[in-house]
Amino acid sequence: MQGQPFLSRRLLLRGASAGFAGLALSGLGGLSARSRAQDALAPKAPHFEPRAKRVIFLCMRGAPSHVDTFDYKPELVRDDGKSGRYGSGRLLASPWEFRQRGESGLWISDLFPNVGEHADELCLLRGMHCDQPNHPQALTQMHTGTFQFVRPSLGSWVLYGLGTENESVPGFLSINPPTGSTQNYGSAFLPAVYQGTKLNPGRQRRSFRRRRQPDVVPDIRNPRLSDAQQRAQLDFVQRLNEDKLKRDRKHPGVEGAIDSLELAYRMQSSMPSLMDLSGESDETLAMYGVDVDETDTFGRQCLLARRLVEAGVRFVEITHGNWDHHFRMSTDLPERAREVDLPIAGLLTDLKRRGLLRDTLVVWGGEFGRTPHAPGGNGRDHNHRGYTTWMAGGGVHGGFSYGATDEHGYEAVEGKVHIHDWHATILHLLGLDHESLTYPYAGRDFRLTDVHGRVVRDVLA
Amino acid sequence: MPLLTTALLTIAASPPQEAQPTADELAFFEAKIRPVLVERCYECHSTESGRIRGGLAVDSREGLLVGGDTGPAIVPGSTARSLLWEAITYEGYEMPPEGPLADDVVEDFRRWIEMGAPDPRAPEVELVRSEVTPEDIEAGRDFWSFRRPESAAPPAVKDERWARGDIDLFVLARLEENGMRPADDAPPEELLRRITFDLTGLPPTEAEQESFLKSWRRDADAAIAEVVEALLASPRFGERWGRHWLDVARYAESSGKELNATYPHAWRYRDYVIDSFNADKPYDRFLREQIAGDLLPAATDEEWAEGLVATGFLALGTKGLIEDDGRQFRADLVDEQIDVTTRAVLGISVACARCHDHKFEPIPQSDYYALAGIFGSTSTYFGTLDTLQNRQATSLLQLPVDDPNPFDRSYTRYEIEEMEAELQRANGTFRDALGSRREMRRGDGDGMTMSPDDSGDDRLNVARLSIETAILRGRLASVDSTGRPLSFCMGVQDDESPNDARLLVRGEVDQPGQEVPRGFVQVLEDPEHPTAIPADASGRLELADWLTSADNPLTARVFVNRVWLHLFGQGIVRSPEDFGSTGIAPTHPELLDQLALRFVDSGWSVKTLVRELMLSRVYRLDTKHDERDFRKDPENELCWRANPRRLDGEALRDAMLQASGELDLDRPRASTVARGGQLTLGRLALNALDLDAPATHRSVYLPIVRDYVPRSLDVFDFAEPTSVVGQRDATSTANQALYLMNSEFVIDQADAMARRLMDEARGRRARVERAFVLAYGRPAESGEIQRGLTFLREFEREGDPSERHALSALCQALFASAEFRFLD
Repeated sequence: MQGQPFLSRRLLLRGASAGFAGLALSGLGGLSARSRAQDALAPKAPHFEPRAKRVIFLCMRGAPSHVDTFDYKPELVRDDGKSGRYGSGRLLASPWEFRQRGESGLWISDLFPNVGEHADELCLLRGMHCDQPNHPQALTQMHTGTFQFVRPSLGSWVLYGLGTENESVPGFLSINPPTGSTQNYGSAFLPAVYQGTKLNPGRQRRSFRRRRQPDVVPDIRNPRLSDAQQRAQLDFVQRLNEDKLKRDRKHPGVEGAIDSLELAYRMQSSMPSLMDLSGESDETLAMYGVDVDETDTFGRQCLLARRLVEAGVRFVEITHGNWDHHFRMSTDLPERAREVDLPIAGLLTDLKRRGLLRDTLVVWGGEFGRTPHAPGGNGRDHNHRGYTTWMAGGGVHGGFSYGATDEHGYEAVEGKVHIHDWHATILHLLGLDHESLTYPYAGRDFRLTDVHGRVVRDVLA
Repeated sequence: MPLLTTALLTIAASPPQEAQPTADELAFFEAKIRPVLVERCYECHSTESGRIRGGLAVDSREGLLVGGDTGPAIVPGSTARSLLWEAITYEGYEMPPEGPLADDVVEDFRRWIEMGAPDPRAPEVELVRSEVTPEDIEAGRDFWSFRRPESAAPPAVKDERWARGDIDLFVLARLEENGMRPADDAPPEELLRRITFDLTGLPPTEAEQESFLKSWRRDADAAIAEVVEALLASPRFGERWGRHWLDVARYAESSGKELNATYPHAWRYRDYVIDSFNADKPYDRFLREQIAGDLLPAATDEEWAEGLVATGFLALGTKGLIEDDGRQFRADLVDEQIDVTTRAVLGISVACARCHDHKFEPIPQSDYYALAGIFGSTSTYFGTLDTLQNRQATSLLQLPVDDPNPFDRSYTRYEIEEMEAELQRANGTFRDALGSRREMRRGDGDGMTMSPDDSGDDRLNVARLSIETAILRGRLASVDSTGRPLSFCMGVQDDESPNDARLLVRGEVDQPGQEVPRGFVQVLEDPEHPTAIPADASGRLELADWLTSADNPLTARVFVNRVWLHLFGQGIVRSPEDFGSTGIAPTHPELLDQLALRFVDSGWSVKTLVRELMLSRVYRLDTKHDERDFRKDPENELCWRANPRRLDGEALRDAMLQASGELDLDRPRASTVARGGQLTLGRLALNALDLDAPATHRSVYLPIVRDYVPRSLDVFDFAEPTSVVGQRDATSTANQALYLMNSEFVIDQADAMARRLMDEARGRRARVERAFVLAYGRPAESGEIQRGLTFLREFEREGDPSERHALSALCQALFASAEFRFLD
């Protein structure tokens, strides 16, 4: 099988014949449900020497404005109030000052003063673009490469490609994903072991939560059974499940049930302590903005992300919502920025201190950007033609800006990075060749980037 | 007419035309009035500041004439009718809040209003020209789903004996074209389980299993027909299929968003939907009631009440009740109504055209505003606790029948007097508290010192009093003058004077463009037979008629597809929410058309449609995987087998309750949310409501509160109740596994089932055997019994010698197993 140099035994067998049951029937495996799931998730060698080993993806849902944050446009200031040639509404200069930060002198606005402190770690991609400007579709394309079909998400591909370092924790966790977006952390036709697991820490309203109370995964403990009893119970369940799988020959749903039961069992012993922030020092908590109203929620989530990658999780995504500023931008955008600025800076500092930033890729961005003109007077419209995302750590060129939009920030004109290129680059940083990371499905080898994608080599450190 | 219609004020959209003001009059405005407005009012009431408090913008003449939430601010020539006058003279409103205007300024305003309020400030009215041309619309009518369904004769097939009806011929022909054969029939136990879950959302009982197998041996076709008939007649049918519609109708019992105020009367709509499916109410009638039930002729009060309850469909959407600006709130409300109506009924989204022409369909922005005129000429009654934070509460519709919310109590005359007195007292204190807060704010502005504690206390006081008075008002409004509880529902009513809507430039409420006559979606209309909307009607009834006309190309197709996907796991159109150009074309277009036409011909009978699909041979296929067929058609687009499906949260919970013997099939009166009355969902209210309280009734009756869907449903991909959901996700996740392994509910059901086994069977072996029958609806294989017995021994060896505990663990294991969770 060309292009899959690192497939595990299980996947080879599965691709070749009929999945689990084929394996069980063939007599080659003789593996229990337990070990099979572990086998599929065991760490795998990448295609080549990786720069990054894990990813923290900070997903800003709603599409933050690039021209008010990370894409400095002096010409937009000059042309403030002129009729836009891009659509209805006048051009609007950013109400926020930009200044050069760090030794590298990257231009970053006053909305991100704390992140700005890390300018020399940031690699800005200022020539991003995607296919269309509707939120749900663009968000799905950002996660899976396409909005037309149900395809595996980026995190699932990464987990499939690399396995995980800690089998007791899900290898791909999505913190606070919007409801109804399971596709964006789903594994589609990849085996269900590679799907993201949703975590909703801090669902209680902040004002009602007791400070420092650990977040919990619901139903994480059995109130009655001993561990041995529960293991015996689970083994019984899995035997029944395997019987069913044998009868059905192939059934992705049943395979998913088998894998998820094993994962759940292991999570019981790992998650409570991982989610308990009480062992963190006051200084660390303060660094993330924990216990400060504005930053508490996202700060906890960022801190949790650090604890998770430290524990060996391969891919952590945190979603932060409400960046869709058509109206009231002058008040709402700074609020959103304040909620994330300090926590993100804290995360970068913390990762760096612990020596994790070197091989942890932090990715920040929304599903698209916003227009330089302001149809609402105090707000900007959707813009998929040009916007900014950034990366930090994980072997990217820090203090560097790649690509550019036109003088007003409307359209990417140089160093253009399409979502496919962005995916190809992220995989490359992880040591994965986006053209070789394929999965056979329905007689075809599928990949995250379909037939597209270009690794943006300029951003590699 | 015993209807409460007090709440919303509709506002004349176009200001009266008058003589042009003279130069002197304008000079007066410029010198005396404009500077005051700019300096004292714009901060809270202008587009420029971004704040339109109370929905009132005073930065244009139109803004003043249209006014805010409570009516026109200026009626030219009449101080008595001008709310602005009331406000600046501190009668009622007290504006500006930081202190009254100087007496001579007030006098200037009097003169100005009396001279006709001359005011040159006109908002720019843009004429928005659509880029969608009539030619585009005409061409758009050729798109497959915008054309009327066409009848086609079923194709010829080689293996005629396999087919039971036309559906089978359409499916088999495509399989044969591709050199494929349909799978074998499913075994009878599997088929019965499939049929029973599909029709009722429950597993078959043992009696049903026995009788089905007996008749299956005599005649399989007859056995299927018999059981389908019996289950279609069962009240469980409506509970299952009603829930499918509630997904589409984004049913929930609270407003969601910031305040999340409860809708304690929403359950009436839920019960209405269930009853409608049980009664096999024709689908066209069902839709007409939901969109215009208040306008349909009714022979009896009961029928009238039913129509009113049905319009809850338009009232129970998500609402941002803290919105200050009444215009914005109404625009969002109308938008939500357009969105839910077009998506649910037509399978396309017209709401995309709110701010600009539709990006993918030939739907100009004006089509959206044609519909907005219809819904904008309609008042929506959704109640909600009328506190200070809630800027948009309304009254409810009073039902013409005597059927109060069972949790609403009656009051004695004495209690009513007490409450009235209490309310008066509380109102007084409330006004004082507000006043003292204002004083303090003024002090603040003047740089006077004050203790910060006072202001905090005061704020709390105001909030508390606001809730107290709201609750008292609510109680008083819930009973008649003798103290007997009244019956209410959520719903809509036509406005007295309907108006066309103005197109809003980029969807912004302060950027009105040209007026758009009320109407429908042009690309779906027959240009030969346009529908006229009478000047004195909102057009809702006409909209309902148009949607349910046999000529509408989408309504029947969309619904037939919804039914198909619930029975086969995938739609004929695999994007059930998108029948437009970005959707996925049907796998069997002729079949879809045929079914749609037949559905209309049957008098839109849902049960007839369901029966027809279930008696097909295709429905009967096995789910078995076949490698060769899978490679040819991995997505099973050709229906070479039945799709294996995961049970949804409701079916899974109900199945556990049935296996444990705990299931209570009686419909509970109302809902947990009704018991709580009008609330906003803070922590206290949530604790008091206890939404996850143990219950043994069917899952469809669990409380559905936005953001707090019961975990038993939420964890299994419940339909997000903010939007139209025709097809739920079906994931298998670690969170589900944790729920099945550790949750109180599942453990309780396992315990109950273990007790049942102890009572009903003698001996371990018999108990294990029976556990399999109860859980899987089939006899256990000998290997399985062996495994069960081994497990019991192992479990007991691990330190718990109680057989009942071991059996409970075994039952729980069966609940967590794939066979229980999936439908073959």
